[in-house]
Amino acid sequence: MINDKNSKKIVDIIQDFSRRHSLFVLAYGTGCGAIEIPPTMTSRYDAERFGIRGMATPRQADLLLITGYLASKTLKRVIRAYEQMQDPKYVIGFGSCTINGGMYWDSYNTIKILSDYIPVDVYINGCMPRPEAVITGFIELQNLIKEGKANGAQKYKENLEWYRENQKKVIKDWKMPDYNW
Amino acid sequence: MTDTILDKEQKLVQLLEQTFKKLSGKVVRQRRVTVSVEKELVPSVLSYAKSQLGYIHLSHMSCVDWPENNNFEIIYILWSPADKVQLFIKTLINRENPEIDNVDMIWKHANTYEREIREMYGIQFNGLVGAQEFILEDWDDMPPMRRDFDTVEYVDDNYTFRPGREDAGDVREEIVKRSGEDIPDFAKKYSRD
Amino acid sequence: MREKATTLYLGPQHPGITGNMMIKLKVEGDTVVKAETHVGYLHRGFEKLMERRNWLQSFTIVCRICVPEPDPNELNYSRAVEEIEGRTVPERAEWIRTMMMELSRLASYLLWFGGQNGSSGLYTMPQWSVGDRDYILDLFEELTGGRVYHMYIWPGGVRRDLPDGFADKVLQTMDYLEKRLKKYDDLMFANTIFQKRAQGIGWIDPKKAVEWGVVGPPLRAAGIKSDVRIDDPYLIYDKLDFEVPTQTGSDVWSRALIRRFEFEQSISMVRQCIEKMPKGEVYNKIPNPMKWTIPAGDAYVKAESARGEFGYYVVSDGSDKPRRVHVKGPAYVHGVTLLERILVGANIADVSFIMNSLGTCPPEIER
Repeated sequence: MINDKNSKKIVDIIQDFSRRHSLFVLAYGTGCGAIEIPPTMTSRYDAERFGIRGMATPRQADLLLITGYLASKTLKRVIRAYEQMQDPKYVIGFGSCTINGGMYWDSYNTIKILSDYIPVDVYINGCMPRPEAVITGFIELQNLIKEGKANGAQKYKENLEWYRENQKKVIKDWKMPDYNW
Repeated sequence: MTDTILDKEQKLVQLLEQTFKKLSGKVVRQRRVTVSVEKELVPSVLSYAKSQLGYIHLSHMSCVDWPENNNFEIIYILWSPADKVQLFIKTLINRENPEIDNVDMIWKHANTYEREIREMYGIQFNGLVGAQEFILEDWDDMPPMRRDFDTVEYVDDNYTFRPGREDAGDVREEIVKRSGEDIPDFAKKYSRD
Repeated sequence: MREKATTLYLGPQHPGITGNMMIKLKVEGDTVVKAETHVGYLHRGFEKLMERRNWLQSFTIVCRICVPEPDPNELNYSRAVEEIEGRTVPERAEWIRTMMMELSRLASYLLWFGGQNGSSGLYTMPQWSVGDRDYILDLFEELTGGRVYHMYIWPGGVRRDLPDGFADKVLQTMDYLEKRLKKYDDLMFANTIFQKRAQGIGWIDPKKAVEWGVVGPPLRAAGIKSDVRIDDPYLIYDKLDFEVPTQTGSDVWSRALIRRFEFEQSISMVRQCIEKMPKGEVYNKIPNPMKWTIPAGDAYVKAESARGEFGYYVVSDGSDKPRRVHVKGPAYVHGVTLLERILVGANIADVSFIMNSLGTCPPEIER
């Protein structure tokens, strides 16, 4: 066996396999995209066949699904939920408004680019994205995990100061505990 | 529309004009009546309408900014389940030092509307209790629903856009340059000009 | 011994809460002694955005105000503009609008059946009813191109006529839903767990209900026959044959029954619409939208949505942009003052159950 740094160990392959087939989504409907989550999860589209299901607490969830625009008030809660989540963790930006503001590009209360504030692994565009698009996004994330490219949490750790600076630009009154990063 | 249909609406206007001297009303259409009063009279007109005329339901309460006339317009929209008439009570308040009496002792849910209007327009409701922040959080600019608040300017100061997508300009050329693909035929048809 | 009061934050991230909002509960043991609603997590400033957009551009964003049920928004905005401008709508468009409203009510109730049962731990019902809701969304998709946001009912009529064979598909879906309703009866209304959970909680005082601002199904569950479709008739509801069910319990159970009976009524109304719909134009063409001005004036229009009276107050100053569009959703009262009142004395486990029964939808509180 070649002892190369880049080659994956068999343990990693098994880990990644388990991770990508048990993505637990944090049940937090942050925006209007939350309306397409019930159809995705229930009998017709049944995302559970991909190992995707809801999870109530951030500490046990792997995937933060930002369903649409984020008001600056919600951003504070989302950052807090994201920092509470344990590694491995992934973020999916859902809907056009997470990509570049979308329909709310001139709104004074919504952020425009989600990946300035938290690292995003996969974006799903559309307003609303259909359940098929949502499932495609999930599969895309699974492929990224398989290739070892879904390293948003790593990026967040390394560039924490840059993210903090952006976050504090929007959240003026920063009254949050600092987690151990 | 014949006059007989608007009977109860006209009777309502007459009754209100007789009771309150400084009040002018008019029938807009079937089931819609508008009256204008001075701001000092608002609580008494509202409580009279509620207790004597049967307008027991506050459907809506709104505020409109008229900077060209230097005033705010406050609108109370009442509904009578018995008469089935929607009564608009409008009043004007000065824009310089806007204040008006609160009416949440008449309808508890007026409190919610008043807190929103206080936050969005900066109008003081005398005697209003409840948290200052209702919808916004850590807001340090002027109340956002005022006409002179420029939302685009605020967005430019506080948020950034993806490079190349700052305005609503045509991005098809840019996409072609980046991806190396041709513009599809269906997209060529639509021109911005 | 009196227990010490604790503060419990329910939300914004909580699986039991309907949407993105927060309720600050003060609890003693298992009982709520004080509830305080905190909203604003979904504020996008629609009313400001509409001041910047012209009359037709504003139409494309109004449907985003309420996610589970966008059609009443489109209808109200269009009706308000038509009322101020004095524009008439072709009769066929009115019938299609009515059909859309009733279909959207059915879709909303199906989602609600799922939410109400999901919040009490009965997870079979969401699997069924949300799956069945998709058949209605398929109809919407065929007619309008969008599953959730339709942008179909616009000032002057509707955007396009029904496609060929659409009426048959609607009737087939209605037959299917009627068949499924019997299954829901077995699963939900004949279920002892649901009955015991729902009966006697979330009581609203029927004598005070109108004064408190209660509208829609919760008001009818309190025994008061109040429905915008009858009190302030709009569209062609006066030509349809339907009943407004009432109950006297004024609790979660009565509200569930009201929705169940209205479900039947809506199915019958959709059938009547398909049957009696006249032929003709569906759109009274508006002038060039970039130069389209509306004379100065104001209008308050309201429609009966699945959760109650949905009101729009629109003011025009005679220019090409609205001066003010103020939206009043039923949740504006239900989700704040009413919820704060009736949660007092409830168990913590019942909080999200009661919230669901009122149909609280935060995006229309803060917009």
